[in-house]
Amino acid sequence: MDTSSPAAIVNGEILNKFVGRRVRTVVQVQRNEGGMVFGQSTDGHQLTIKSAMDIPVSHFMEVYGIAEHNQTIRAEVCTDFGPNFDAKAFDGLCKLANDKFKHLFL
Amino acid sequence: MYGGGGGHYDGGGGAANANSLFGGGGFMPSQSTAAPESGGGGSLSKGRNAQTLLPLTVKQIMDAAQASDDKSNFAINGVEVSTIRLVGRMLGKVERVTDVAFILDDGTGKIDVNRWENESSDTKEMADVNDGNYVIVNGGLKGFQGKRHVVAYSVRRVTNFNDIAHHFLHCIYVHLELTKSNSRLPSQINASTGIPGHANQVRLPNNQATTFSASGNTAGNDVSSLVMSVFHDPAIIDREDGITVAYIIDRLKLPEEVIKEVMQKHIDDGNIYNTIDDLHYRSAMNG
Repeated sequence: MDTSSPAAIVNGEILNKFVGRRVRTVVQVQRNEGGMVFGQSTDGHQLTIKSAMDIPVSHFMEVYGIAEHNQTIRAEVCTDFGPNFDAKAFDGLCKLANDKFKHLFL
Repeated sequence: MYGGGGGHYDGGGGAANANSLFGGGGFMPSQSTAAPESGGGGSLSKGRNAQTLLPLTVKQIMDAAQASDDKSNFAINGVEVSTIRLVGRMLGKVERVTDVAFILDDGTGKIDVNRWENESSDTKEMADVNDGNYVIVNGGLKGFQGKRHVVAYSVRRVTNFNDIAHHFLHCIYVHLELTKSNSRLPSQINASTGIPGHANQVRLPNNQATTFSASGNTAGNDVSSLVMSVFHDPAIIDREDGITVAYIIDRLKLPEEVIKEVMQKHIDDGNIYNTIDDLHYRSAMNG
């Protein structure tokens, strides 16, 4: 797996700005169709995760990968964050990490 | 035979190195000026903060300034850092006889981590974590030959994934807390270096102009340098179009014929040149 470049912490909206680059995000799994996971980002956007791991529906899944489009990520690493995850806190982190405190992360 | 001599020399070299490192210690205050300057109680909080556990991102560590060579201490946000907490993914775990080495990737960068296994509990803890796991690392930040690494005191597997978001939020919070008390200082520096410095340079020609008019129309050389100083005003020198004769007259408050005569001399000497039309001139100095 390629972890050579830093990954931006994004939500559905911020993903837009990182098309073609490495990102990390968390989605809540809604459907899993043979490696394609359809999930909801922490800010309520519909995201498609390609070559994702098989993670149970309603679980939160962390994805490291390349943003192919503004709603599609090609996964490199997936982690099952379980059914209990504070999406709101993560969403807040996305906003801070891409705005005022970007220099701490990227 | 060479080996023995070489060994001896190495020893000497080592001592010399150590000395030079100590010598380097003498420069430490100037290099780590951020620490003493930042905030009133800087020196007090510095000692305390060096031992305080700081949550950090790998990016922050890589950006950190090295406070001094011999102690391998670092300064982040103007405070000395030695004990840190990182949260990220474990990669490339290598188990050796006395220690475990791995790379920690927290998404902002990667750093080498070492965990010495002195007790059986250390070994047990390290057996619990493997490549790909999210881990919380508490340890000491070390610098060796320009490379930064962490000597871990504890490595725990993340079981509640909210810890990851929490860690990064904690990094932001601590950063904010540490920079809050210092934030006044940089703005003061900016204010004093930026604006008044600029104002001084702008004011200069005017001062000369007043002295000139007071002393009367005597020295042509002074007018010559006055005119050039208008061209070299930082507010003007970068203007692509340059400035007009009328502007210089207005600026220096000198008779038109005097200015025109001096201008002609500057044109002939190649000090200034026409830009967009016959009225605009620019100094040749700005290349």
